[in-house]
Amino acid sequence: MVAILVKLKLTLLRNALRRSVWRIIGLILGLLYALAIVVFVVAGLVALRWTSVELTADVTVLAFTALTAGWLALSLLVFGIDETLDPSRFALLPVRAREIMPGLLVSGLVGSTGIATVLVSLGLLASWSRGLGPVLATVAAIPIGVATCFLLSRAGTAAFASALNSRRFRDFAFVGIALIGMSIGIVANLAGNLAGGQLGNARAILAQTAGVAGWTPFGWIWAVPADAARGQWLLAGVRLLLACLLVVGLWLAWGHYLDRRLTEPLESARGGGRVRAGGLVDRLYPASPAGGVAARTLHYWRRDPRYVAGIAGFLIGPVILMVTQVVNPEGLPLLIAFAPALLCWLIGASVAQDLSYDGTALWLHASSGLRGAEDRIGRLWSTCTVFLPILVVLTVLGLGLSGAWQLWLPVVAVSIPLILVSLGVGTFVGTLWQWPAPPPGANPFQKGSSGGFPALASFSVTGLVSLILSTPTIGLVIASFWTGWLAWLGLVIGLAIGAITVWQGVVRGGARLDRRWPEVLAAISER
Amino acid sequence: MGRATVFTGTMSEFPVNGPGDSPAALELTGLVKRFGTKVAVDNLQLRVRPGCLFGLVGPNGAGKTTTLSMATGLLRPDAGRAAILGHDVWQHPARAKALIGVLPDGMRLFDRLSGAELLRYVGLLRRVPERDIATRSTELLAALGLSDDANTLVVEYSAGMTKKIGLACALIHAPRLVILDEPFEAVDPVSGEHIRTILRGYVASGGTVVLSSHVMELVESLCDELAVVAQGRVLAAGTLDQVRAGSSLQQRFLDLVGYTAAGEGALAWLRSSSSSS
Repeated sequence: MVAILVKLKLTLLRNALRRSVWRIIGLILGLLYALAIVVFVVAGLVALRWTSVELTADVTVLAFTALTAGWLALSLLVFGIDETLDPSRFALLPVRAREIMPGLLVSGLVGSTGIATVLVSLGLLASWSRGLGPVLATVAAIPIGVATCFLLSRAGTAAFASALNSRRFRDFAFVGIALIGMSIGIVANLAGNLAGGQLGNARAILAQTAGVAGWTPFGWIWAVPADAARGQWLLAGVRLLLACLLVVGLWLAWGHYLDRRLTEPLESARGGGRVRAGGLVDRLYPASPAGGVAARTLHYWRRDPRYVAGIAGFLIGPVILMVTQVVNPEGLPLLIAFAPALLCWLIGASVAQDLSYDGTALWLHASSGLRGAEDRIGRLWSTCTVFLPILVVLTVLGLGLSGAWQLWLPVVAVSIPLILVSLGVGTFVGTLWQWPAPPPGANPFQKGSSGGFPALASFSVTGLVSLILSTPTIGLVIASFWTGWLAWLGLVIGLAIGAITVWQGVVRGGARLDRRWPEVLAAISER
Repeated sequence: MGRATVFTGTMSEFPVNGPGDSPAALELTGLVKRFGTKVAVDNLQLRVRPGCLFGLVGPNGAGKTTTLSMATGLLRPDAGRAAILGHDVWQHPARAKALIGVLPDGMRLFDRLSGAELLRYVGLLRRVPERDIATRSTELLAALGLSDDANTLVVEYSAGMTKKIGLACALIHAPRLVILDEPFEAVDPVSGEHIRTILRGYVASGGTVVLSSHVMELVESLCDELAVVAQGRVLAAGTLDQVRAGSSLQQRFLDLVGYTAAGEGALAWLRSSSSSS
């Protein structure tokens, strides 16, 4: 079964690559990037061989704990999981979860992230080649550690996805994801600050952090070789036992969720799908095509887990920045006050991915003779309805927490033009690239088997162009710290550039859609 | 009125639109679509007169869905033209699209809206006055037996209910022509009869329906005219009697698409399993 599934995965990958040059380029870039990291890390691990046991222990435990936690955090927050082999596809075959799990595990590791993780872990052998004991402990730790990484990402996303799908837990899960992301960011940032603050103590702090990391579930297995090298065999045994129990627990949890997907592969109706007629959302916008688009997308912001998870994703950056600065005694009030501007900069990316999220349902826009510009305007309205209140709250909160109320003018002078520019750019960029996104109700952490390149291009071009168009304003606002009135000038210029960008984004993006509806549909429905 | 005749493939035999004729409800000329090396639609000609209930039949993979997608502006043809009541779909898309209602097959609806919300959304996109949207959607939901589920999310609908709400979406702006891809698939007999009644009444009042199906009995009992499509080409077109040519539609269809029964020995292993039970 393992060989069959791995072969299936390779066949699927090969066929996907055959269909588009961009996927080949994406794969090569991904592999080169992974290779560079692997070479760098393995070189470091080899170099550790010639340092003390203590330093090797601290560095490796900390690094691999971070790697393991990263598998969970990144699959929840950023990348999603690679479901080239979608378990629900096996639903009609007479197989049980435990029969296909080994195969899914191995084939899941066949991919740049999985291979990189395996190679980097093998590098540990070099670091611990200090005698038979440590080497044996490392040999035992590598497969268990790699399995922990993989199982954490699968079981974690499955648990969160099922929570997100049930209406009752959706809001809770959304908060949960945000909290996980924030706490990881905050801890990392604080650790960095503390270590940076007192260079003399850096070594002691490293040892302390590694000590704590080695007792977290993410670090148990990676601390085993270190214990062995120190000759603390009892400790090594305890942690090995804990790590094995963790793997077994994760395996069972993953099996539980897989079994459910094998027996309920369809996005099942969970009841309670009734809504109130004539709600506020329908009366919020004018009864026009653009108003219709706005109301429909606003419904989706509330009812579609992908959008709910998206809000969390966009909020994490600014909130981490604010919290770390507030918690840190040496935090900069300036950063706290300006953190919400980061969200202003990011919301364009949300408009840019909107078309892809509609999926094949977009045929309705294409066949109804809706003008492209109306589609663009409607999406802008709903995005503003969702994000503007959040932004106002965050900005007031930021100014309040920083205690620097006098910064209101520079903050406003940066934020409002940045919103306009980013929305305008996103409106146009959204018509350039579309990709097949997982449908609503599907696991929002499932990576589209091909979303990669266009999604990345859409995100980075939106961010980059928005930034370039905002430089005059940002420059003037920075200058206003010496000459106050320049902030007003920045605001006026920024408003002008922003208004032109939105106008051009709607006009040009709309015209592009009018010409290219069939191509947009083809890009979205390609599978 | 264009008079449809049985023809067998070449362009010259196809009835040509005379100067005094009113434009066809749907006219496809020389449509071609390739996917890689596979030719899905191969120089396809089709003419549907206004006020006709027209059936498009063909085996799986005949190019029915591809043809209808190109006729409705969802898929760009490699060559050829499609015209709706004289308006070219690819030169003047807005004018052509305003005249048609579409029910595609195998594409999602905005299923996180309730049935009523979806109808309101389509109405707004189609620029139907708000008051008309409300009355029409109530009537459509009642006619299709969906009134009780008007405020249920479409994602919770069964396959047949989804077809029905899709049909309502295709009709809410009172189009002159509706193009329906497999409208009866997964629809139960009672709902099917609702749909037939709606379509017949619509055609009687001057509307035109083009629907695809691979159920011969259905096309035979419902349609005025039909075309048999296979391998991206029209093999025969005309009134029911013209296409049947004295035989049953089922038999004629099998003759046209070149059906040959599998030999005695085929799938022998499947039959032998009966002895084990």
